[in-house]
Amino acid sequence: MQKSLKSLLSRWTAGLVVICVVSTMAAGASKPHYLVANDDVPPALATSVSFFTVSTSGTLTLKTNVLIGRGGIAGGYFAANRVNVLNSGNNQCVYASTAQGGEINGIVVKTLQIGGHAVGSKNDTGASNGVGLAMNAKYLYASFTDSNTIGTFHVKPGCSLTFVGDTTVAGLNGGVIDGMVIHGNMMVVTYGDGSIESFNISAGKPVSNGDKQNSTGSRKGNTYPSGVDITQDGHYAIFGDTSPFTVVEVSDISSGKLTPTIVYQLGKTMNSSNILLSPDESLLYISDNQGGRVSAAFFDKGTGKLTKGCVSGPLKGFVSNWSYVASLALEQTTGTGGALYVAEFGAPSSIGIINVKSSAGKCTLSESSHSPVSDPNSPGLLSIEAFPPRPF
Amino acid sequence: MRSASRYFLAILFCGFSLLRLDAQCPNRPNPGTVVQDPLSLNSVNGTLKAELTMRHSVDAGGYNHYCMNYATSNGDVEAPTLRLKQGDRLVLDVKDRIVSDDDSAGMEAMDMSVPAGKICGDGGTMTLSSTNVHFHGLNVSPHCHQDDVLTTLIQPGKPAFQFNIPIPKDEPPGLYWYHPHVHGFTEFQVNGGAAGALIVEGMDKFRPEVAGLTERVFIVRQQYLVPWVPGPYQLTINYQVSAFPTFPAPIINMKPNEKQFWRVANATIQDFMPLQVWFNGKPQKLELIALDGYPLAKPRFEETILLPPAGRAEFIVQGPAQDNEAVFMSLGYSTGPTGNPDLQQELAKIQVSADANDSQQTKTTEPTVRIPMGKLKFTGLSQQKPTALRKLYFSEEFGGTNGPIQFYITVDGQKQQVFKGNEKPVITTHVGAVEDWIVENRALETHAFHMHQIHFLVTEVDGKPVKNQDLRDTIEIPFWEGPGHPYHSVKMRMDFRDPTIAGTFVFHCHILLHEDLGMMHKILVLPK
Repeated sequence: MQKSLKSLLSRWTAGLVVICVVSTMAAGASKPHYLVANDDVPPALATSVSFFTVSTSGTLTLKTNVLIGRGGIAGGYFAANRVNVLNSGNNQCVYASTAQGGEINGIVVKTLQIGGHAVGSKNDTGASNGVGLAMNAKYLYASFTDSNTIGTFHVKPGCSLTFVGDTTVAGLNGGVIDGMVIHGNMMVVTYGDGSIESFNISAGKPVSNGDKQNSTGSRKGNTYPSGVDITQDGHYAIFGDTSPFTVVEVSDISSGKLTPTIVYQLGKTMNSSNILLSPDESLLYISDNQGGRVSAAFFDKGTGKLTKGCVSGPLKGFVSNWSYVASLALEQTTGTGGALYVAEFGAPSSIGIINVKSSAGKCTLSESSHSPVSDPNSPGLLSIEAFPPRPF
Repeated sequence: MRSASRYFLAILFCGFSLLRLDAQCPNRPNPGTVVQDPLSLNSVNGTLKAELTMRHSVDAGGYNHYCMNYATSNGDVEAPTLRLKQGDRLVLDVKDRIVSDDDSAGMEAMDMSVPAGKICGDGGTMTLSSTNVHFHGLNVSPHCHQDDVLTTLIQPGKPAFQFNIPIPKDEPPGLYWYHPHVHGFTEFQVNGGAAGALIVEGMDKFRPEVAGLTERVFIVRQQYLVPWVPGPYQLTINYQVSAFPTFPAPIINMKPNEKQFWRVANATIQDFMPLQVWFNGKPQKLELIALDGYPLAKPRFEETILLPPAGRAEFIVQGPAQDNEAVFMSLGYSTGPTGNPDLQQELAKIQVSADANDSQQTKTTEPTVRIPMGKLKFTGLSQQKPTALRKLYFSEEFGGTNGPIQFYITVDGQKQQVFKGNEKPVITTHVGAVEDWIVENRALETHAFHMHQIHFLVTEVDGKPVKNQDLRDTIEIPFWEGPGHPYHSVKMRMDFRDPTIAGTFVFHCHILLHEDLGMMHKILVLPK
């Protein structure tokens, strides 16, 4: 009897597992998987957000583009990420900014329709260098590069937003806000003058942690933190530098404040403003903004140390079709992230696809035969993002 | 907000391109045709009097043309070469007839209003449609109606403004050039082609090597669809697009083994051009005669002549034998991590034929009596004792596709700030002073230092004496390679002895975007 019951329970359990797995697979199959691009354009033209579907092999197919109004600039900071995604509960959204008007639009991923939009205060614009975005489930933060303000917006259901207020910021040497990232209650930003600062965002609007400082790289010379990422455990902030070389700086933020950065020179490529940690944090991907390549460095998440990894060859179309590489995104949300995508700034722009291999302390980055994929909607693509996003 | 205004300009500029399709500018030469010299206007009885009309149109490819038209019986001709002798007078009427839907006059903008109380010409606000003229390299007065770019403003539809410039009797013979210099907008009009040559005749008297040679004037310009968006650009030579192999190459005709005297101006908005002439793929020796309009004390042979934006070189080219393939090249040049790519470009093919030149506007100089170099302005400058030593530096803030976002030239010890129309001079000196300036580049991009009103003597590069102490008005200062590397620098001797140049004028980077965005400041030279 006991055996029969056990057997029955086992069968039920097995059945439940199968149902769960099938349900999960079904849910997974229906879950959208997009590479999203903020199609920056010159001011007089219409800005849109392009959605590319991602195939199982990592290749991209343009599905649609959603108009978000006029007011692009077809350029700006590499590290001001003008598109961000939210995957929280029932809120699956893509938020994208327009530089001239400082408008932020929320697009519902399920319908690919605009769910809401908002602007900051009267002076909030990014007409010179764009409006970068960072967000969590409650708040979206917008870095307005002209007004040098961080706008705080309340995230509402249906991908809508309401403006909360502005925080005026400036670098130690008067610099304009550039990169911005949040993790838990901490926001870390970079300024165009080589300084960095962190904020407490537990109450919504950012409040400085009083740790504004020139990065070690900037104190030694003209290598300025630009892009920024934070490790999953919130222990380290990692900065990609605007520099004549591939330079990354790392600050221990485990105390809740920035500490002096440690500088890693990882290569001789030109300008390393955009960086992205792989989901397993074993690799740091780096755009060689002005050299038309991407590279990867090995990251030790225990110590925060970086070591040289690998660099791709020049990506197809560099100089002839496009001028810069900018933001990075990943195909997958686990491991090293599968295929690596990189925004290629040109007219029209494109998205480079790079295959990543990494094992036993060695890596290779090779451009896919399907690369690049044209983004016909943008003559100035700088910002891309994957949906679903990396878990941290 | 200054940058925002610039992007507001983008709207106007793009709209401008779309709306103004009616041609106000003459057609430019078809690719693959023979390169013609610009029309020459010569002084008569000591005066060159001419009228130029600034106009604008957009070509079929979407490129904006800004043209300084000279009316002839056969229609308008763009940017003629103004030819004068030492001691002559240039009387140049300039009318602005740019027709636009540009409403930038109403914008609060880039500190471009002319300082109160100092108006030369029409005054008002500097806009995309305003113009004026800088006589680049001429060692003349910075006052109104001469070479003044700070207060002179010519507005559309107004009567002609007259420049009246006496050419000094000791002005170096050579190649100068003229172009608009409206702060905040210079790049737009020069990108559109508004620039021409000005030649002070008499080179053969100081450098007899050129006597009797066929003379050619080549103005190399650069056109971007939208000048501040990085991307492909086209070089042109005497307005013919030079984009081989996309287009057939322009053709320069020469006779077999013929020696010609080439006068080449880099009128690009930002291209550094290492010039070469190749025969069968090999660079040839060029006999360098003058730089920036100043004859060399002694000609020298160079394979490569580097011209920064606004630089000029005059040199003798010996044509190839009949069967050689020859080209005029601009090599690629690295302007640094934040600089724009300057790509290698074949400027023209040199086509050899026995009857070359017959149909061209060329000039043959005649052998004349030689005059010693000591009769020229700035002679003996290297022996002068400097009265002051100053250090200046270029620097930038950067981080995106706009390249650097702030451009500074700063007197060491002063605060970094961009140029403002109403600023006080950052340097004050006096007539009679001879100063040594060290200009350093702390940016990750090569800059081109240009001084108005005078030439300067280049004495040191990177702290080491130079082999050839040339007199220049524009000089490249290479980019900083980054941490662990020293800043590159050029030491130059400034000669403020001539009372003619007393007044307020400017020095700046001649990458025109940089100048427009404020990498410029004023200097005041007080009368003695």
